[in-house]
Amino acid sequence: MNSPEQSAELMSAYLDAELEGDEAEAFDSLLADSPELRDELEDLRKVMQLVAELPEVEAPEDFADKVTRRLRRRQLLAPEGALMGLISLPFQVLSIIVILTAAGLYMMAQLERRPAKIERDQPAVQVPVDDPEALRSGEAPLRPIER
Amino acid sequence: MPGKDAASVTAAESQSAPTVSPPPDERSAADVRDRRLVRRIRNGDDRAFEELVRIYQNRIFGLTLRMIGNRQEAEDLAQEVFLTVHKAIASYRGEGRFYTWLYRIASNTCKNRIKYLRGRNFHRSVPVEDNPEAQGGGDGPVVPLQSQIAGPEAMAQGTRLQDAISRELANLDPEHRLLIVLRDIQGLSYSDILRITGLQEGTLKSRLHRARVALKDRLADYLK
Repeated sequence: MNSPEQSAELMSAYLDAELEGDEAEAFDSLLADSPELRDELEDLRKVMQLVAELPEVEAPEDFADKVTRRLRRRQLLAPEGALMGLISLPFQVLSIIVILTAAGLYMMAQLERRPAKIERDQPAVQVPVDDPEALRSGEAPLRPIER
Repeated sequence: MPGKDAASVTAAESQSAPTVSPPPDERSAADVRDRRLVRRIRNGDDRAFEELVRIYQNRIFGLTLRMIGNRQEAEDLAQEVFLTVHKAIASYRGEGRFYTWLYRIASNTCKNRIKYLRGRNFHRSVPVEDNPEAQGGGDGPVVPLQSQIAGPEAMAQGTRLQDAISRELANLDPEHRLLIVLRDIQGLSYSDILRITGLQEGTLKSRLHRARVALKDRLADYLK
């Protein structure tokens, strides 16, 4: 007498033609003696057949393309792929970066140069000349202070 | 359909869904092809990876769709499986057939996603057979259940039965569902399923039996 576990194993193996010669014969004689077992076996066979006849499933046509696109995105985001990603950035983006960097450097250079220029171009402090008439009219010419 | 062999499916054949068990020499040719592809992928050949995806995409998508029951989710999951394969290919030790390793990754990814989706109270929104693509696309040797009986009413009845099978299959315990998909739908051998699932032979047989009984009980009304 088989345990329920063993019976289950035998039933599966029998349905899948995985029983060895002696085991298959023994199971055949069990079936001959048990109408319930035969009914159970037939029902299971029917279920297996119905399941096997379900339509085959196909992946979408662009499935492989989507996978490779996702793979590339991941490779770009991965640390080891970051440098390669930077290199492969579109030319326009790189150009913008170069232009912005050049503009930034130029502005910094200008800012550094400007105080010196101001100092150089700064006119000497001037005082009005000693012309009473001009002083009165407010149009007195200025003369530079002599240092 | 037992005996369908995933490894024997070439890229072109995979589009037409083979149903015949290949002779051993074809099987070993497929193994050789897979080993070459793996070697090329390890060397950074992205075209080899794309070829591998095209060979196995229908099988893996079929597995994820039957396991998850929602096309969009299943497609995302199948893509994830291939990305994991690419990432982990260096750790593949070449033991056994390549596709059993691929299926192991796929089945573990499915189980993890099912757990995650359960946590988010996810419900399948699109029945497996609702989309025309799921009907085999017209190229494959699909023998729909409807064709067994003639007439429009019989066609509708057959479609209802297919929907019921898909629905009840999707309602099985994930462990049971996986075994039914691998064995009764995809036709993998016991030895392949043992490698994929890591089960003992006795456990596989008894669990497969319980899975079939559970499905039979759920379909009892339709079987009368």
